[in-house]
Amino acid sequence: MELVTVREDVWGREVMLGVSWDLLWVVLALTGAAIILHLLIMAFLSKAPRPSAEGAQLERHAGIDRGFHWIMAISVFVLLFTGVLPIVGVNFDWLTIHWVAGLILTGTVVFHVLRAIFWQRPKDMWVAGRDLREPFDESQKPGKYSLAQKGMHNAMTVLVLLVIGTGIALFAVMDTPWWTRSNALDEATLGWMFMLHGASTLGLIGLTALHVYFAVRPEKRFYTRSMISGWISEDEHKSNHDPGRWSPDQST
Amino acid sequence: MNRMHIGKDFIPPDIHGKVTGKAKYAEDYAVDGMVYARLYTSPMPHARVKNIDAEAALAMEGVVGILTADDVYPTEAPAPALLTNEPVYVGDPILAVAAVDEKTAEDALKKIRVDLEPLPFVVDPVDSLRPKGASARLEGNIYPREMREMRWAGSDVERFVSGQEPTGPAPTEWSYGDLEAGFDNAEVVLEESFVTTGYAHMSMEPRSVLSYWQNGKCHVYGSTQSQSFVVPFLARMLGIEQKDLVFIAEYCGGGFGSKISAYPVLALPGYFSRKIGRPVMLRITREEEYYVGSARVGFQGWIKAGFTKTGRVSAVDLYIVQDLGPKQAGGDASSAGGAVSILYQPDAMRLRDVPVLTNTTPRGPQRGPGQNQIAAVFEPMMDKAAQALGLDPLDMRRLNAPDSSATLNANQGPITSAYMEEALLKGAELFNWSERIKRAGQRNGSKVTGVGVGQGYHSAGASGYDGLVRLTPDGKLHLHSGVGNLGTYSYASTTRAAAELLKVNWDNCVLHYGNTEEHLPWSSYQAGSNTTFTHTRANHVAAEDLLNKMKRIAAEALGGDPGNYDVADERVFDTRNAARGLTYAEVAARAVSLGGEYSGESYPEDIHEVTQRAVQGLAGSGLIGVGKDKLPVRGTVPGLTVGFAEIELDLETGKHEIIDFLAVAECGTVVHPQGLAGQLRGGAVWGIGMASLERHVYDPQNGLPASVGYYQTKPPSYLDVPTSTEWTAVDIADPDNPVGARGVGEPAMGSATAAILCALSSALGGHLFNRTPVTPDLIVNHVSGQGQSFDPMAINSF
Amino acid sequence: MAAHDVMPDIELFQPVTVEDASTLAERLGSRGWILAGGQDTYGWLKDRAKSPRAMVDLAAIEGISGIEAVDGGLRIGAMTSLTTITRDERIRADFSLLASAAGKVASPQIRNQGTLGGNLVQDTRCWYYRRGLSCYRAGGNICYADSPEGMNREHAIFGASRCVAVSPSDTGTALVALDATMIVQNGDAERRIPAREFFVGPAVNITHMTVLRPGDILTAVELPERWAGADFYFEKVADRNVWDFALVSIAGAFRSEAGTIRDARLVCGAVECVPRRLEAVEAAIIGKPRNEETGTAVAALASRGAAPLNFNHFKIPLMENLVKRALRA
Repeated sequence: MELVTVREDVWGREVMLGVSWDLLWVVLALTGAAIILHLLIMAFLSKAPRPSAEGAQLERHAGIDRGFHWIMAISVFVLLFTGVLPIVGVNFDWLTIHWVAGLILTGTVVFHVLRAIFWQRPKDMWVAGRDLREPFDESQKPGKYSLAQKGMHNAMTVLVLLVIGTGIALFAVMDTPWWTRSNALDEATLGWMFMLHGASTLGLIGLTALHVYFAVRPEKRFYTRSMISGWISEDEHKSNHDPGRWSPDQST
Repeated sequence: MNRMHIGKDFIPPDIHGKVTGKAKYAEDYAVDGMVYARLYTSPMPHARVKNIDAEAALAMEGVVGILTADDVYPTEAPAPALLTNEPVYVGDPILAVAAVDEKTAEDALKKIRVDLEPLPFVVDPVDSLRPKGASARLEGNIYPREMREMRWAGSDVERFVSGQEPTGPAPTEWSYGDLEAGFDNAEVVLEESFVTTGYAHMSMEPRSVLSYWQNGKCHVYGSTQSQSFVVPFLARMLGIEQKDLVFIAEYCGGGFGSKISAYPVLALPGYFSRKIGRPVMLRITREEEYYVGSARVGFQGWIKAGFTKTGRVSAVDLYIVQDLGPKQAGGDASSAGGAVSILYQPDAMRLRDVPVLTNTTPRGPQRGPGQNQIAAVFEPMMDKAAQALGLDPLDMRRLNAPDSSATLNANQGPITSAYMEEALLKGAELFNWSERIKRAGQRNGSKVTGVGVGQGYHSAGASGYDGLVRLTPDGKLHLHSGVGNLGTYSYASTTRAAAELLKVNWDNCVLHYGNTEEHLPWSSYQAGSNTTFTHTRANHVAAEDLLNKMKRIAAEALGGDPGNYDVADERVFDTRNAARGLTYAEVAARAVSLGGEYSGESYPEDIHEVTQRAVQGLAGSGLIGVGKDKLPVRGTVPGLTVGFAEIELDLETGKHEIIDFLAVAECGTVVHPQGLAGQLRGGAVWGIGMASLERHVYDPQNGLPASVGYYQTKPPSYLDVPTSTEWTAVDIADPDNPVGARGVGEPAMGSATAAILCALSSALGGHLFNRTPVTPDLIVNHVSGQGQSFDPMAINSF
Repeated sequence: MAAHDVMPDIELFQPVTVEDASTLAERLGSRGWILAGGQDTYGWLKDRAKSPRAMVDLAAIEGISGIEAVDGGLRIGAMTSLTTITRDERIRADFSLLASAAGKVASPQIRNQGTLGGNLVQDTRCWYYRRGLSCYRAGGNICYADSPEGMNREHAIFGASRCVAVSPSDTGTALVALDATMIVQNGDAERRIPAREFFVGPAVNITHMTVLRPGDILTAVELPERWAGADFYFEKVADRNVWDFALVSIAGAFRSEAGTIRDARLVCGAVECVPRRLEAVEAAIIGKPRNEETGTAVAALASRGAAPLNFNHFKIPLMENLVKRALRA
């Protein structure tokens, strides 16, 4: 199996066309296998008592951030489905939906980055040295975000920026309401753009699947709730986080 | 004059083969052990070959060998290369591979890895002239008979592309007369910019070649317009002596200027066969013919012409940027200037020419190279001037028409004779011009009538070539024709000048042609419409030699003075006693026994090496008549034509229908009416193609040609041409030809192009598109008032 | 680069039933090629611009050529030659639109050999694509025609989505106007597809011009009674009068009552990747007389929304003119 597809350019030279979409099935299989493995491991591990959702509600996500998350989630799903379904043979008029969703995603990401830099503490999201002890030391509890959450976020950040960056580059070679396509990218560069766009898409498919899986796992479901309603309970806070590193306000 | 052959139709000997399908063209031959070659051509418009890896291909079963540029004669830019390590257009042959069958050869090409480094390229001459324009070749971007670099200032380019008077320097220039005075005397001065597309020759027979070596001789079966003329050039290309070349080109499925002499591909199988020791057939595909088969030189230009109150052309200032493609070419601009100088006899004229190389199909002479492009430009301008002066377009042309006192070119040299006014009048009467011109502009629903007259010119005659005839003891007159069979039948019809002089029945004539082993004399290039003039002369000269020898033999045998002898009914006889004479068979038998110059044991020293060898080969077989044409010729030999067209243009679809077309030839005495008709009708079809259909398109972004098939190039189909094309000829003898004939093939196209364009213009109230072809999109855009999609000087506009 | 000229090795299947042809085609998938008259096929194969491994020749299958009457309309086998269609009395009497369109295809020789099915499923003539370049339509990720200096005089002014190729089919334009139904068989299953849905544009499928998938065999076309004996108009404007593809073509079908148009179809070819129904024009002419005045009034509706490329602005007035002519006739 090839990792990338290769074609001849206008002058008969070999040029990369993009990622090989056979890899889609590999990614789906690997992700599925990872989830099954996790399910099995979790089934064998002793179940810790769940913290209570009752009691005081502490703010985890401001409304604006939750809005951002869900807009982003929807646009990513739209992008994934519009991008991938035609490849697997489901034909429909996908391109306009795809780039409009891409623009929405780009807008929300820009907004999020600016907000995180100027109004939030971006450090909260970056993996620090002590976070690495978390998996090996029961007593090490995270601040606002766990190592897994930070890792997921950081990986997502890289892939989303990559997919957005290459997506914007590809915009130059298609007609839009604002401009007609240019020859700005030669065929070899175009191939690289498609390859990176496709590769980051494959990464996003895997990560998104894992993300959704963890979001619906019973012991993590309160995080999902917090992404909807904004709060976690004091008990949930206490048993999952180090109050010394993160002490949220009462939810309003 | 009561003539036996001149002016009469006959059945040329190649007709039966063509009609029955038994004719063998180069690719119809097969010999034992023959292998098939296939070309690997450049995918890039300009590149350098860094490496060729043919190992995998050569390892394939059935693959016999590979031929690269290193195996063939070297060339210097811009001479055309046989194979190259610096391809200069998409389709330029880099190597050839030979295999036991064509499929294997094609499969082998896929396995050959050619590592190419792209080089700068350009497909539009004007782009090459820009301050930072690319050069089509490493050695330069222009070719005024030497490779050089030349750029214009940005402002020069901008002026030129917007159609204003050019200010960019032109490396070639000629002029005569007082241009300024000419424009001062003008009542109307017109300035127009123009574009004529340089499109492919599209010979129906691609230039396939078979070659093999036998007993030290190279046998080449090819497709060329000329026969003997090819020999020295092909021998030199192959690096052999002329005597070691056997060249067979009995049939030629069209050349139109692209197969005049030895072209590179013609030598390829010879080289390949020598290398691999097997006969090699190289079949050129239709697509390849668009690459190696060449195309017309394209023009982008500007013209200013002054017309006096009476309608005389007083001054012409012509500026042409020529698209030469990547190789040697470029006589077109000068020929265009020459055509203007003779057809309109301007008092003063200047021609400036910028010959630019591009990375497109190689260019070469194509039917009326230069003359026919300018016919498409100048003739519609004549109508515009006529309109401005309130004159009838035909009267305006009559006023300027060349007669026998006409002069041409920068040196204002003389011509042999010309009767253009007679041609215009004869055509006007037959076409009923005075009535038809009244219909111009008449509307019928969405359709509007257009009427046009157009003129064409080409120099149509040469001299100094050889003739060779032979009388054998069986009484047959053998006519040895070194003229190529390019489809005009002139290889046969010109020999009839000899049969005419010797008064031999055509049934008793045997034609030898199409194969060096038939002992053929040195002959002119079958191009430039020259053969009819040139070889009726050469055949006449040879026949005269034979006639004199017959008289001498008879006088010697029967007594008396040779001057008292004459010929009739295939006898040479004493005019004082007609019973005393010898039959031609008897004369021939005597010649054989007499030997010496009679039977070709000796021959004049001034005949060409090719003719000498032919005579040597025939020595002792009969009475030989041979000679070099040294008859006087007082100047350029003009071939002149007039076309008349009535069309109906549909303003809503941009399509037009040709209602009637008449072609008039002014080519001296008509030698072969059916042959002339073929030239005039074929010329009309070509003219229609140039005027409104045929195109040549390159994508400037990657140098790829779009026009690589009949469908994209759009030669006229049978419903695009009139169902019948009428023709006539002035038929006044030229004084410098023994039978009164001049040539005419090429101008027949230019006058047709001009007539159609003038008719289109008249249908549109005088609007000039100033470009060829005028396609339906141009007309629809014009009529709708929305303007064209491209700038006035744009080429590649499809 | 090689300019190919001989047929490459290819396996040839000559099934005698549609089921077998379908099974073979499905099994071969993208490696297979359906052969009808061969007029589009051999160019692709000899140029090696497409390199299928096997051909499924439909010539030996009985029952998919010929013309028969059904429910007031006609059923035309997909393997019926274009010449047969132009000459058939029933078609000429009731559906002369199709006879006219078929009669304008290519040249007599090609019409003798070419089939209705082949004319409908033939591939586009975009010269870049035909050159064998890896463009969008060939599965790549670039369009050479719709580029800043692309040569695109013959290309689309509507419905482009990355690819700007146009429908080359003359009969397709007529069949959309006639509300024809395409009969497609896959294995034992038969689908009936309205002509309009049969053709797809690049937005939906950039590599195929029709809805046909591996295993699908177009077996017949049905012309419904609805337009039988209606007033028709067909015109094709091409550079050449023989052996050329349309610059723009128009197919019109009209039912009039008491001097006004009661029902109409107007379809343009060669302006979009699919035959383009001019619905705005159709709606605007209902209730109006079929004459010059109506044509002039509605012509501009035809080209509304057109997005011309570098060299095909002329298609806008040409389309409008053809609408006028269809309504004037």
